[in-house]
Amino acid sequence: MSELINLISANAAMAKTEYAIIITLAAGLVLFVIPDRARTFKGITALTVAVAAAILTAGLYSSGPQRFIPELWNAGKYLSLRIDNLSTLILFFVSLFSVLILLYSIVYLKGRIIKNFYSWFLLTLGCSYGAAVADNLLLFLTFWGILGLTLYKLIEAKNEESSATAKKSLILIGASDSIMIIGIAILWRLSGTLNMSEIQISTGSPLTAVAFLALLAGSFTKAGAFPFHTWVPDYAMNAPAVSSAYLPASLDKLLGIYFLARILNGMFITGEWLTLLLLILGVSTIITAVMMALIQHDYKKLLGYHAVSQVGYMVLGMSLGSVIGVAAGLFHMINHALYKSGLFLSAGAIEFRTGKSQIDDLGGLSRTMPVTFAAALVFAMSISGIPPLNGFASKWMIYQAIIDFGSGAGLANKLWVVWLGLAVLGSALTLASFIKFIGGVFLGRRRNELDKVKEVPALMWIPLSLLALTCIAFGVFATKVVVPGLFMPVTGTFAFTGFWNSGLVSLLVIVSILAGALIYLATGIKKFRTSDSFIGGEKFHEQTAYPTPEFYKTFGEFRFLSAMYRKANEKWFDIYDLSRQAVLWFSHKLSLGHTGILSGYIIWVLAGLAILLLIMI
Amino acid sequence: MNPLIPLLVAVPLAGAFLIMILGKFVKDINKYIATLTLMFLVAATLVLMAGTGSDVAVYRLGGWDNINGIPIGIYMVSDGLSGIVLCIINVVGLLSVIYSFTYISRYTSENNYYALFCLMVAGMNGVVLSGDLFNIFVFLEIAAISSYALVAFGVGRTELEATFKYQILGGLASLIILFGIGFIYWRTKTLNMADIREVMGSETGKPLYLLVQMLLLCGFGLKAAVIPFHAWLPDAHSSAPSPISAMLSGVLIKAVGIYVLIRLFFNMFIISNETAVLITTLGTLSMVFGVFLAIGQWDIKRLLAYHSISQMGYVVMSAGMGMILLSKGIKPEVAALAVAGALFHLINHAAFKSLLFLNAGAIEYRTGTRDLKEMGGLAALMPATSSTSLVASMSISGIPPFNGFFSKLIIIIAAIMAKFYLLAVIAVLVSIITLASFLKFQRYAFYNREAANNGNNIREVPFPMVLSMVLLTLFCILLSLIAIPQVRDVVLTPAVNVLIDPHLYTSPILGM
Repeated sequence: MSELINLISANAAMAKTEYAIIITLAAGLVLFVIPDRARTFKGITALTVAVAAAILTAGLYSSGPQRFIPELWNAGKYLSLRIDNLSTLILFFVSLFSVLILLYSIVYLKGRIIKNFYSWFLLTLGCSYGAAVADNLLLFLTFWGILGLTLYKLIEAKNEESSATAKKSLILIGASDSIMIIGIAILWRLSGTLNMSEIQISTGSPLTAVAFLALLAGSFTKAGAFPFHTWVPDYAMNAPAVSSAYLPASLDKLLGIYFLARILNGMFITGEWLTLLLLILGVSTIITAVMMALIQHDYKKLLGYHAVSQVGYMVLGMSLGSVIGVAAGLFHMINHALYKSGLFLSAGAIEFRTGKSQIDDLGGLSRTMPVTFAAALVFAMSISGIPPLNGFASKWMIYQAIIDFGSGAGLANKLWVVWLGLAVLGSALTLASFIKFIGGVFLGRRRNELDKVKEVPALMWIPLSLLALTCIAFGVFATKVVVPGLFMPVTGTFAFTGFWNSGLVSLLVIVSILAGALIYLATGIKKFRTSDSFIGGEKFHEQTAYPTPEFYKTFGEFRFLSAMYRKANEKWFDIYDLSRQAVLWFSHKLSLGHTGILSGYIIWVLAGLAILLLIMI
Repeated sequence: MNPLIPLLVAVPLAGAFLIMILGKFVKDINKYIATLTLMFLVAATLVLMAGTGSDVAVYRLGGWDNINGIPIGIYMVSDGLSGIVLCIINVVGLLSVIYSFTYISRYTSENNYYALFCLMVAGMNGVVLSGDLFNIFVFLEIAAISSYALVAFGVGRTELEATFKYQILGGLASLIILFGIGFIYWRTKTLNMADIREVMGSETGKPLYLLVQMLLLCGFGLKAAVIPFHAWLPDAHSSAPSPISAMLSGVLIKAVGIYVLIRLFFNMFIISNETAVLITTLGTLSMVFGVFLAIGQWDIKRLLAYHSISQMGYVVMSAGMGMILLSKGIKPEVAALAVAGALFHLINHAAFKSLLFLNAGAIEYRTGTRDLKEMGGLAALMPATSSTSLVASMSISGIPPFNGFFSKLIIIIAAIMAKFYLLAVIAVLVSIITLASFLKFQRYAFYNREAANNGNNIREVPFPMVLSMVLLTLFCILLSLIAIPQVRDVVLTPAVNVLIDPHLYTSPILGM
């Protein structure tokens, strides 16, 4: 009897997964046919499909781990799918983000033209589902690779900058996908199977280490980790906010870290040196990206650098190898997707109303856009790791995991203080740069031309508030509900070592805020001294007003840092530009040989023949 | 004795004559005759393919049977490999003719154009169906000479210069090939490829055997534009009218170059390990140098032409890997995979490269330029061209789910399975640079600036051109299905079997 139930539920799960993938892909293709003039109709259709798919995927939560090969495509081993707790987690959040962002996009997109946005959006969704449930590596790679193309099409390449960004993003993503083929082929040769669930291989030999690194490159590029991260800030700056919120901020992170989890906790048994390498890459990601974020003036690019920096924490958590580390990494991944897509949507709201992209041109929007401000404040505090919000909860778990890790014997374990110190430093710098973002955009003195700015329409602020509420809820209920409910099924149970109870902390925070409010009301402080910013005793003028980012110039003026920043601005650290220079140099050298003179070419042919003969005979 | 086999050569020859004669009297009949001819060829190829399946069909011209197992007379052979190449030739040929309806009406003397086109197709079909070396040479010359004339069709300064270089180098290649054939005939007293394998089988490793191999490798390598014999290709392929560029890059270099190389070195010669390594090296060099030369180009058609060199490098390299494994006699299943990857990529390249040349032609048709720096923002003005060229670009760069991804995947996997790790890495790097250069093409042609910066009169190209492009786009998507094992068994496996087991090829011909 129980077998029968298993069979039925297995079939139901299979059907749900297949339907979710098929309806999104099919709807995406159908929407290509409908002209873009009916954009709202397309948006609503897409939303309906996404909601249906979300319901289907949410229904998988109860089905339990299983593997299956869909019968409907009778193509045997290449199409095997797997559903386990990790993939249901990813599926659920992929659905959540796509629904919220679609809701937001219906109004947001009215002003902008991205051809076939909803088609590409749904194709992205379907392929993300596919990548999250594919067990066969080639099937996985196919879905995974299509995401690069949709990323490329979700940016409106109408001027030089944005088209250059689109090109750069797809080159980096496509390059990493091609590199992954090597890893997959090596795995196939060594283990004789392509199913992720059946591969378990030690990274002892050079060949397996190469396979590991090749797959790692794919995961890192998708998630945007050092040194393959350079497309993320550019994309964030030039793409519409919905696209940045959708791919680099949420779905690419979910899938990149999902695949990292699969690599680290299933397919490979990593040795000590690779753990060390991963940890170094993790902290480099945190520090380099946050340093770059500090000096940005464009708020979307600032967010883009943070979308890189936060990946470092996930990589740190994942590479520790302990249960709590993996759970912390996954938790941080979800949290990051929540607040970072929220931040991008807030940025989109600001841009929607003001049309400006520089922090220097903004200021004082908190009055006129109160909901956006409140939501953005929550997101900013979350990403900076302020208790009791969710960003703090996951970072705290990562710190705990690092401290635990320190008790091990290896070299990487011995250096735990370094990892911990740099992670905390990164968190502090994140806070610093988000003070700039909040201060520069929402606080301070409002410019005259911004007087007419209004709050965004409800369809845009509702998703924002939902994301903000989720951020708060995930922080407040972290230790009691969220981690045991969502992440322990994936990783296995563990105990929280440090003293921290999110509910209690939240209570204390609320109590202290209430106490403050009480004091404020009871003592009747009604008189404020309002004054302009202190600018060295000078009278405040519009012309002399310092925009907030100016305060951060100091960072760029330390001797060592200024040199680094200069090099960074000259693209010395961008793997894309470095390789581009090299390729074009070589190309130029080669083309010098092609003079167009016929006798030269004839000599080539005869010389070629002579060499062939000399070699062979 | 399937009568369709000689008809595949005779009908386009007849078509060419009819066009020249009837075209004088009846206006516009030229394009109808050409279309009908090509339609017949496509249908005949499909029927032939379905009829032969995995067998090898032999047509003895004039009914001259073997005597004591020695073939006399002219034999035409149709097997899995020639079926694939015939499909490529005739399908791309048909679509190019349809594309030419409006494209070529800008030129004068359309009769000559369509007649030469049919002649070229007849030549290529002949090469693919010939069972003996000398007929390959004759048909090769038919195809080559008509292509010399077609490259020069614009009769401008660049076209004439390009065709001059093409003729000189092509003539050199023909000379070298004829020289090689002469040696073989002197030695073996036969020209039938299957028979040559039997007769010369005892002479492997002798200098003459190697000399002949190298002469034919050089001659057909030049036709296939393998580095260092590639110099004619960028000029010729970029100067020809675009449908002809599509035929040259998408079909001609395969039919008279790659196909013959594969046929000779798998089925006629008993190949030694050194030769196999040499062929693989040449393929790898083409792959690498071709792509590096391509990425620096700003003329669309030159960029595409250099990519043909690079992509043919993939095919040659992959076939070469198969040869190395076969010559060592190890891992036959990996050798089969490598050969299958090569053939799959050959088919795919025909689809996406002809499409890309048709796209380039459409852009040139409307904007009058081939320089990427002078274009931009065409995506909004020419949506069909833009989206079809996106598919083609993604295919050639190996982005899923398009066909190029799967063939490159098979090639790279075969390289890893055969432990040629370096080749796998090179293939990946070349694929990345290919992606970069096609994104450059996409960016500068279709995006990069506002559409309004172009003139007012730029709009989508006429229907026949769009139709050809859309059909080729469908091929780019549908050919991915060959990656599925069941489909692969039907399409690729007969050809692969013939190549890795030469007995399948020789025994029906020799009647053993």
